[in-house]
Formats: sequence, structure tokens, C-alpha cells
Amino acid sequence: MKYSIARYWRERHSHYRLKAVRCLDCNRVNYPPSTICRYCGSKNLEEIELFEQARLLTWSVIHVATEGFEDYKPIIIAMVELVDSKVKILTQLTDIDLDEIKPGMLLEPVLRRVSEDDATGIIQYAIKYRPVLKRGD
Amino acid sequence: MKPEENTGIVGWGAYIPRYRLPLKEIVRIWGFSEETPKGLNTIEKAVAGRDEDAITMGWEAALNALKRAGIDPKLIGGVWFGTESKPYAVKPSATVIAEALGITPDTMATDLEFACRAASESLRLSIAAVASGMVKYGLVIGSDTAQANPGDILEFTASSAAAAFIVGLSKEAVAVFEASYTYVTDTPDFWRRAYIPYPLHGEAFTGQPAYFHHIESAVRGLFKKTGLKPDDFDYAIFHQPNGTFPLRVAKRLGFPKEKVLPGLLTPYIGNSYNASALIGLAKVLDEAKPGQRILLAPFGSGAGSDAYSIVVTEKVLERQAKAPRVVDYLNRKKIIDYALYAKYRNIIKKI
Repeated sequence: MKYSIARYWRERHSHYRLKAVRCLDCNRVNYPPSTICRYCGSKNLEEIELFEQARLLTWSVIHVATEGFEDYKPIIIAMVELVDSKVKILTQLTDIDLDEIKPGMLLEPVLRRVSEDDATGIIQYAIKYRPVLKRGD
Repeated sequence: MKPEENTGIVGWGAYIPRYRLPLKEIVRIWGFSEETPKGLNTIEKAVAGRDEDAITMGWEAALNALKRAGIDPKLIGGVWFGTESKPYAVKPSATVIAEALGITPDTMATDLEFACRAASESLRLSIAAVASGMVKYGLVIGSDTAQANPGDILEFTASSAAAAFIVGLSKEAVAVFEASYTYVTDTPDFWRRAYIPYPLHGEAFTGQPAYFHHIESAVRGLFKKTGLKPDDFDYAIFHQPNGTFPLRVAKRLGFPKEKVLPGLLTPYIGNSYNASALIGLAKVLDEAKPGQRILLAPFGSGAGSDAYSIVVTEKVLERQAKAPRVVDYLNRKKIIDYALYAKYRNIIKKI
């Protein structure tokens, strides 16, 4: 096993539900969450979840992936801005072809497999973003 | 009063992956006759992407069920996950979904296996748990990335999808369970041994002694228990391993096909195993009107079938638009070829 299962377990809420912390002193959001505000050093933090729609800001396509990620190529790494909180996060896009990607497109969070510690180890799950599902009503 | 009548469906949700494999691709690759998929009354099957599995699909169906129920996830006291394609052989899928949806830690959670009817057994368990007062809400999920030996007839229909239901007290329900009945025997029509990647089946033996006998026995058992008859139902939803069996079993039981077609999805997405009949129920609830009565009869090889009588309430109307409908997922599709399907379903041998 190459991955730290302790780290995956420790970070599961930020991976599964986009858990973050808001600083009650400077009001900035820290994602991934930390115990000390990265912006002002305060420990006066509250837990929040950023599970919300987002707009695509920019992206990069990875064609040569590291071990554990090879089967998921091409991997689309994206910087998105969350619609309500305006927080910018780094994520992956899924359910989209490269020629369908458009700046500013509306996206929604979905839980997906991110990597596998070969055929015998832990499967890592995390939130990725996909184009918002079109609704008929 | 039967215990079921105290309980009902509070929220429902479905999920169908984006990708579709036209069955003519399987004809092209494996040299079948073009008539073979026509005999199955199926055109395409839904294929989970490379980053999807029974957990991720079940998560989205459950998320949709939560949106419709509008309840605090912490009030769910049982997460029961029916599948025959667990991502891990040992390590529960139910806990991943429960954690991701904020249901943990005050809950029961387990994966159940009974071929295609484990999720239906979960539904009966959740009815019992809610009716007894042991839990306030139960979350039932049926999700499968169905496996089939490449080139086997089963490959035409083995597909991927998920359905989820939150069971609670009848006073909050969009649809109340009126009665339920289960019929099981030891019938070896379909199985997968340990460490073997694909299931085997008894060809024609999967029909009369398995599918038809068990579903007909379960539905007739429900009729006997309740005094209900086919005319009393507005919809009939059966397990749908292909597009023809549900229509044949309906005819044998006295249901016209018009009552079956609204919940028959296999012609468009294939057989999603534990989600097969349940996604049909999700689609019917998407469209149902208060007062309508639904017959639901899932089936699982091995073998067993459950029959439920479900009556829709006024609350269904306010919750239908709170999450994506089955038809929204049906309309979102990208056609792929056999090569991409083989990659996505991990059936290319790599070292």
C-alpha cells in the first residue's frame, strides 16, 4: 500500500462533503480546512460545508498521470468559483468531453472515485464537478 | 392494521450514468445475430464511467431522495445498501454513503446481497424498523454496475444505475405501503462464485422456474393477503432483466401492458440489477397522482420475489420537482463504443 489510509480517513469530510472552516475574525474561508486561519492566524474558526454549484474559471488537462490515477486519464483539473460563497477551489471535472468545456459554465458537485491504491488497496472517493444536469421541469 | 400501513416512502431518488452502449455494438464485437437484442426488447444500456461504481451511483440516488424528503440526514437510523457489485469484497459501501451524506455515526449501516433483490429485502427491513419505532427513517439504496461475461448473452442487458428511498411514517409519506409479501426458494438460476469476476446462469432455467414462478407466487400471495386484484392497480412494476419478461409476467398475472410501460426502463438503460425494478418505481413516483395504487414486484436470483401494494398520497406533488427526475437522467446521454465501454467497466486485462 502506497497511500496513507490515516490521511485519507482524516480528510474524508473535506473530500466527501467539501468541509471547510470559516475564520470568525477575518471571515475568510479556509479550504481544505485547517486548525489555524491561513490568512490571519486566528484559531477562532467554525466548520462549514461548501457543497454548492460552481462556475468554471480555468482548467488544465493532464495526459500523463501519476501512479494510481492512470486509468482516469485525461484528468481535468479545474479552478472553480462556488456560486454562493464565492470561494475558489481546485477540483476535477467529470462527465464532460474536452471539447465541451467552456469558461463560466455552471457545474455541480458529485462524489466520484479519484484514485486506487492498485487492485488491492484503498479506493479514494472525493467530490468532483460535472455540468449541471438539465432538468425538464 | 398491518405493520406496513404505518410506513411509507418519504423521499425517492434515482441515478443513471451518462454513457450508453448501443446493443448493436455487442452484436458487432461478438458476432451475434442482429435479431438477438430485438428479442430482448432493449436498444441501449447505461454504462457507468471509469470514476463511478455502486457507491458513487448509490450516493447520488440517495442525495436525490434526501432532497425530496427534506429531512435532517442525522434522523436516518438505518442505511441498507443492496448490491451485487460492491467495490470492496470486505468493507461496507453503506458507511461511505452514510458518511458522505452526513448520516453517521448514529445509524445502522450494512450491505445486503441477494442477487437483484437485496435492495428490496432492504425495503422490507426498513418497513419493519420504522413500523416498530426502532428508527425514525430508513435509507434503502439499490445500486449496481452489473457484471457480465464479455460475449455472454447477459452482456446485452447488464447495466449500471441506482435508486434510493427514504422510508418513514405514513403520515409524512408520498406513498404508503399498504401490504407486502415475500416468496423465496432455493433455485440455482444465476450465481457468482468467490473470486470469479462474472456471474453464470442457467440460460432458459432463469425464466419459468426462477423469474416467472417467484414473481407470480409473490404477487398472488399479495393478492391473497389483501384481496386486491389487477384492476385495483394503476401501475405494475416488475423486475426487468430484459424488455420482454416484465410484459409477459404482467400478461400472465392479468395486467395490461399500459400499466407496465410507465415503469419499464430496461429497453433504454438495460438491467441495472438491484435498481432494476426500483428505478421503475422512482420513475412512476415522478409522474404519479394522489390516490393511485402501484404494484411493485422485484426479483432476485437464487431466488425470491417481493410484492408490495403502494398507495400514492397528496404529498407526492410537492416533492416531484425537488430533485432530478428519472427522465432527466434518461435524456442526458452520450453514446460510446465497445472499446470505451470495456475501459469504463474495467474489462480490459492490464498488468
